[in-house]
Amino acid sequence: MTAVILTADASLAPSSEARIPGNKGIWVGIFSEMTEFALLFSVYFLAKAHHPEAFREGPPQLSTLAGMFNTIMMISGSYFVAKAVMAIRRNQRDVSARWLYGVAFTIAGYLLTKYFEFQWNVEHGITGRTSIFFTTYYYLTFTHMVHIVWGAMGLLWVTVRTKTGAYSPEDHEGLEAFASYWHATDLAWLIIFPLLYVLR
Amino acid sequence: MSHDKLLDTLWLLLIILTLAGTLLGESADPGLAVTLIICLTMAFKGRMVIDHFMELNTANRKIRNMMRAYFYVLPAVTILTSLFGDWLARLTTL
Repeated sequence: MTAVILTADASLAPSSEARIPGNKGIWVGIFSEMTEFALLFSVYFLAKAHHPEAFREGPPQLSTLAGMFNTIMMISGSYFVAKAVMAIRRNQRDVSARWLYGVAFTIAGYLLTKYFEFQWNVEHGITGRTSIFFTTYYYLTFTHMVHIVWGAMGLLWVTVRTKTGAYSPEDHEGLEAFASYWHATDLAWLIIFPLLYVLR
Repeated sequence: MSHDKLLDTLWLLLIILTLAGTLLGESADPGLAVTLIICLTMAFKGRMVIDHFMELNTANRKIRNMMRAYFYVLPAVTILTSLFGDWLARLTTL
């Protein structure tokens, strides 16, 4: 599988060592986001080192199903937005918009799952003060959720721009910038999920 | 393989890895082997998203290297914390 991936053709985007997906501004935002999460992950590692028991007992008390479902939502949203970018490069505006609706569906699925998960936590007596593990869990997942909400606003903007014909195969910088941000938010979750839900 | 087909294949692969990793975490006894597998999966998934969904494998080298580094460092620190948590706790105790 890896061999297949490594020999795959390049995308329709121009291949260049100087090319910046989206624009410089969005990458300042993305690196700020990644730095913010790096700090929160550092807190996680330090808290785990100091309180190994809490981090062994915490994950089994969470709903792994909710975490897994949201991982599927994040990966799928990332895939849908990559397909939307590919469609606009082929000048298929309506197809691109349909993929963006798919991203909206994954955001709704994510937020709905988070709502039920937090409710489930409360019913099982889990709050941010239950243990240091859950304090870390709420910090990380709330912060991620805030980034999802920002992304939802960005999605609304690029969907309207796509529908009104603002993007073309030659110029779709805004859509690429949103896609890059959304992939970064997916990346953060790809670390949060194993740290909080899977590893003991 | 076209880029579209590659994206389809990767999406499926990432979903399968997520399901397999979750099953492993739920069913296997916690230990170094499980931690290693989960962290390698985390690194691989991140690399695939960075290289192919973000398309950084054919774009700016500095951005690519920094993003790739994130997914070398985080899985490595996760493993090191599992192995040397006591040492880290002693080092960071005031």
